[in-house]
Amino acid sequence: MKQYALFGGAAAIALGLAAGCAVAPHRIDPAGDEMLTSTHRIDVKDWQTAALKSIDSLLESGALARTDGRKTVVMVGEVKNSTSTPVNTRILTDKIRQAILKSGKAVTTTAVGAKGAEETATRQVRELENDDLFNQATVQKRGTVISPDMSLSGEIVQQKSKVGRVEESYFFFHVVMTDLATGLAVWEDNVEIGKQETKSIFD
Amino acid sequence: MRRLFLLAAGAAALAMLAAGCQNTVNTLSGGPEVSQLDLQRFSSDSFCRDRLAVMSVHRSRTEGGAMKLQVALRSERYGFFPEIWSWFTGENPYYINYRVDWFDPDGMKVASPSSNWMTEIFYPGETRYLQSVAPNSKCCGFMVSLKEKND
Repeated sequence: MKQYALFGGAAAIALGLAAGCAVAPHRIDPAGDEMLTSTHRIDVKDWQTAALKSIDSLLESGALARTDGRKTVVMVGEVKNSTSTPVNTRILTDKIRQAILKSGKAVTTTAVGAKGAEETATRQVRELENDDLFNQATVQKRGTVISPDMSLSGEIVQQKSKVGRVEESYFFFHVVMTDLATGLAVWEDNVEIGKQETKSIFD
Repeated sequence: MRRLFLLAAGAAALAMLAAGCQNTVNTLSGGPEVSQLDLQRFSSDSFCRDRLAVMSVHRSRTEGGAMKLQVALRSERYGFFPEIWSWFTGENPYYINYRVDWFDPDGMKVASPSSNWMTEIFYPGETRYLQSVAPNSKCCGFMVSLKEKND
């Protein structure tokens, strides 16, 4: 009986300790440093680092400037994901396109994108020209949408390594701005991120 | 009654000690090239304040007209005993977080990816150069924040 009591007591203490380790759901600052870090995935801080370094490099380059006084129109092309995990590269491209807009040097278009239009409304509203429900004077005309001058594209590459209990991932973000008139890359840059962990001997 | 008085005195002494440990001035030390005016553009926790020094603050303009900032920070923990201590406390290399906030001519903060905390790694005695480009050409002020990275 005494043994049962001891066992029960120990189990209760263990349960209490386990419950004590729990943390209730709470909000954290995405701009802070509390976000999780993993070795083989692209984490929030990695996206932020890649975006910040790319944006600084792009704004510094002056590649968006034009001599005719008009603002450069940029479309977002494809950013190929060559990592081992599915990721939405929009996290990167949206940060870059927002920075381009805020810089005041260029504007971005949603009428064209890597996989068709990002915003289908530009085409949709022009299909109203045959709809007698609408006042035709208010329907957007064809031939007014501005074609892009440049395209933003890139690739994310991952290389994994493992030596003994040490594992690491090397992420290579390549971003390029192409002049669509000439096909020449007017700006490109790489952001490299390396992450490493040592696994427990019990893993 | 006497015990109560002793307890109150002890609590007061502890509170005073705690207040003494609290650093209300967080100015980093600067190299000979750095003016006091520039140092006022830095805020830091007490850990970074004791371990890093601002060696230079350079500004330039990009081709697009935006201000570019470069700050040289040097790790002040070098030498035999400081490095032994850093190794003992797990601070070699030393991880910090930094961010740069940009302000327009009216003093309003302009949203920028540089306002996210970014990580930088310092080895003892090493100088690192933090760079940032203003989000637009109107930005003329900046504030650099530093803090020790806690994992």
